[in-house]
Parts: sequence; C-alpha cells; structure tokens
Amino acid sequence: MRHAETIREFVVTEFLPDVSAGELEMDLDLLESGIVDSLGLLKVIAWLEERYDVVAENEDLTPERFRSIASIAEFLEQANRSPSEAE
Amino acid sequence: MRTYSLVEAFLRHARERPLAPALVWREEELGYGDLLRRADSVRARLKAMDAPSNEPVCLLAAKSPEAVAMVLACLMERRAFLIPSLDLGARALRGLIDLSGCRAVLTPEGTPRNRVPAGAGGAVPPLPEDTSFMLTTSGSTGMPKVVPLSAGAVDRFTRWAGGRFDLGPGSRVLSYAPLHFDLCLLDVWATLAHGGCVVLADPGLAARGDYLLDLVARWEVSTVQAVPMFYRLVAEAADTKRQSLPGVRHAILTGDSVPGPLQRRIPDLLPNARLYNVYGCTETNDSLIHEIESEDGLGAPFPLGSPLPGVTVAVVDSEGRPFRGSGIGELWVRTPFQTLGYLGRANDRTVFADDPGSGGRNSGPFFRTGDLVRRDETGRITLEGRGDFHVKVRGVRVNTQEVEHVLLHHPDVVEAVVLARRDLVAGRLLHLVVRRTPGSELNSLVLRRHCAARLPRAALPSTVRITDDALPRTSTGKPDRERIARVYFEPDRPNEQGEQT
Repeated sequence: MRHAETIREFVVTEFLPDVSAGELEMDLDLLESGIVDSLGLLKVIAWLEERYDVVAENEDLTPERFRSIASIAEFLEQANRSPSEAE
Repeated sequence: MRTYSLVEAFLRHARERPLAPALVWREEELGYGDLLRRADSVRARLKAMDAPSNEPVCLLAAKSPEAVAMVLACLMERRAFLIPSLDLGARALRGLIDLSGCRAVLTPEGTPRNRVPAGAGGAVPPLPEDTSFMLTTSGSTGMPKVVPLSAGAVDRFTRWAGGRFDLGPGSRVLSYAPLHFDLCLLDVWATLAHGGCVVLADPGLAARGDYLLDLVARWEVSTVQAVPMFYRLVAEAADTKRQSLPGVRHAILTGDSVPGPLQRRIPDLLPNARLYNVYGCTETNDSLIHEIESEDGLGAPFPLGSPLPGVTVAVVDSEGRPFRGSGIGELWVRTPFQTLGYLGRANDRTVFADDPGSGGRNSGPFFRTGDLVRRDETGRITLEGRGDFHVKVRGVRVNTQEVEHVLLHHPDVVEAVVLARRDLVAGRLLHLVVRRTPGSELNSLVLRRHCAARLPRAALPSTVRITDDALPRTSTGKPDRERIARVYFEPDRPNEQGEQT
C-alpha cells in the first residue's frame, strides 16, 4: 500500500479539488459515488501508466480493479511486481 | 350584493378611509387618500402625453409608491398597460414594446429623457377586449411573451385572494416579488382592493435576510407570499437573532419545491401562521392550493392541493387524452383568472388548447402547463417535474429537476441547479452548481455522497461546482440556466437544458 497516499493525492486533485486528501477514505467506492466515471477511469489509468511506468493490459482494465484508492494501490503493487519478476 | 371591481374598491377605500395606510415604503406609511392623489397626478401626465385612450401604455418603474400610482392611473383610465421587467436587455424590451404596440412609455416623473425608450412606431395590434394588465413570461427560452389579462379576470382573482388570506383593513401584506411578477396580483393589487396595507420590500435589499426579518417584524406583517428562498433567508437571520415572527397569520409558498430542512424551520419562525403551497403560472394565475400540515411528508413533494373555485384541472396522457384515476401525465389547467392566449400569436394552440374532454373551448382554452404530475389512487396530485427537464444521460432518462430536489434536501444547500450539457464523448452529462449556506464547509465529496445515496448512477452529476454566491436568476425568479452555464462552465458549449425532443 506504499503508493496509496500518492494515488489519493492525484484523485483528490483531479476529481475533488475542493476536498482535502485526508477526507477521502481509502476504501470509498469511487465509481458508485460518482467521483470517477468511465471517462475519469481512463484518466486514472493514463496517469498510472505515466507516473509508474506500468502497462495496463486490456484484461486488467475491469472497473473492479479501480473501485477505491486501496484497490488501485493493490493493482499497482501487482503490476509493478510482475514485470520485475519476469526480468 | 354589489361587487366592486379592483379600481372601484380602491376608490371606495380612498374616499371612506383616506387616512388608512395603503403602502409602507422605506420607513414611511402612505395613506389611501395620498395614494389616490398620486394616481391622479399620473393620470394628468398620461393625458398630457396625447396618447389615444384606447391605446396601451408601457410602464417602466422600479417598485415604489410612484410605480403603484402609475398602475392605478392606468386602471382608473381603463387603459391596457404593459409592465415589463426592468432587467430586460434593450433588445428584448424593444421587442415587447413593439409587439404590444405601446406608443407611449411612462416612467416616474423626472426620469432623464435619454433613459426613456422610444414607443412603438407601428400600428397597435388588436388587444383582447377589456385588457388591463399585460404581464410577460420569463423568456428563459428566448423572447418573453406578452400575457394580456382582462380586467374581469383580475377582479375575479383579487376577490378570491382577499377573502382567502384576510387582506382587509388592518392587514399588512408583504410584497416581496418585483412589481412585474404575477405574484403582485395577490400581494399588491388584491390587498389594495380589500383595504389592507402593502409593505413593499426594497428590491435592492431583497437578498438581505436581516433586512427582511426586520421589515416583517417592525411593520407587523400578517400575510406573506414568497418563494422558498425568502423563508430561508429570513429563517437564517431569525436564528442568529433568536427571534420569531408571531404576527404572520398566512404564509404562502410559491414557485419552487420546499427543501425539507427549511420546512422543519418554518413552524418555529412563524408559530401562528397557516402555511400554503400555491401552484400557478403567469398565464393562468393561481390554480391550485394546498394547506401544508405538519404531518405532510418531509422531503416528499407537497400535494398541489385542490383547484381554486372555478378552476378545472385535467391530467393528460402523452396522446393528449385526459384520464381519470392514478398515473403520470401533463397538467392542463383552466381558470377564471387566466389569459385567453399570448399577444400577437395565432399559433399557440400547442400551449392554449381545447377542452381535452369535450374538444370545445366554450368556457375558454385550457393552458398546458408543461408540468408532469402524478395522481395517486386517492386523487392527490404531486409535481413530478417539468416535461422539458427530462434528458437522456448515457441512455438513461433522467429528470434534472429530481436531482435538484435531492440536493435541496441537504441542510447546507441553498440553491441547486443541474444542467445537462452535450459532451463529445459521453453524449450528455450532468453538471451541478450548488450555493451553500454561508459559513458551511460543504464540499464536493459530501455532495457526491449525498447524491450517491439517493440517486441512480446515471443521475449522478459529472462535475460539481460549489459557490457562496447567489445563482443568476431570470426576471421572474427562475434559475437563469443559460447564464449559469456561461458563468460556471465553458462558454463555448450550449446548454442543452431547454431542448425539447
């Protein structure tokens, strides 16, 4: 969960600019609450690819993986681990 | 028993009780006798204008005793008069003056000449018989329309209102709406017909809760008619000062839905008042009334109530057929107080229609309100929203007004407007602007949670803007959606709200 703080910063800056980061719970459902819609999701993924240099395969892109800050952080952990293990 | 017209009744009060107060304006009372003298001096100016007495005149004056005298002068002369909003752009005002054929424009004495627009140049269009007031629609979808009312329609209305809300001698009635609003037919004109005293709120201070509270308390106002925003402003000021308004006996709410948190505060604010929800349009005047009981479902929409005496209502399906029993349909209304149609428009059969049951129009046309209503098994009618507030968002039919209602139930929300705007990618998206209560720390996360808990996914707004400023409104007090779109969102994409399909 080491990236969770950074992800939360990004989500708040991008989608909730008038909210302080601490107010957004790590496990709040971002899709259900309407904070991130399908277009917003594309933004999040583009940012993840750019910031963490991960490549998201199409099969990774189920909304389920991006429901909350916590689940995005988890996705990132796995995505980072797999390529380095392959090297 | 002889019945008096509005102007006959006013003259009788001026003759029999010249010292009784007719108006309160900026700390001062003006008696019926003095008001009549001012109306007479306006009549002299009218005569000097050399406009034939069968021609209409355009009155341009901010709310004041002089403006009231100007209207009374026209009524006494049996002259039709246009009373437009003062906030209209020059082009819209020009259009209204030309459309109604007002070759004379009357302003308060001493108005600089260059501030008085020229009268109509063309011929006077035929006005319906007995036309007195010519009100205008808000024009939120373009040019305002002229709504001519006959003197008979106005008299029938003021007679009903005076009896219903105790507007007789000794009463003090707040006039909150600007003078060109249809609401003034009740708070100003019915009051003057019945011998009560009109307490004129200064339009420049209309958003100041402390001023309004003080005005109602000091002049012991007994009847109030206003939009929910007024009650909210006053309730906030009253909370700060720990004050209530026990003198108010009748409080009429119009024009909007009432947020639940506000409804809960009104009994403390107005402990001795009977509360009413009144439904009406400029075209029909007041049509239905519901007396609000404390057990009325908080948050749920108020019933529209019962038709006023002489009013006929029909709930009509999408095929134009009226139906009985429960269901959702458009509300059609026919009232003894209504206009027979807009001025200069032959083709408004889509708005003014024949009796949907008999197909005739012997008793006057029905007005299609455009409001969707639900009628339940018991016959109770509640507002569903406007037909033209339905939009499709990601393929789902969403009523933007319903979203606004949900937002208005949040205790920190003062005003809420939801715009449906075209989006290149998503088709159409909802954008929300909310004005929060002063000092509240309401933010978009709180609002999104509030919506998510109460609305389907498709109805959740894509963008949320929160402001401490009052939202722009049209001259008749409705949210000005076009200006809101311009101010809060990019100016290059048109607002899709009013688009009908």
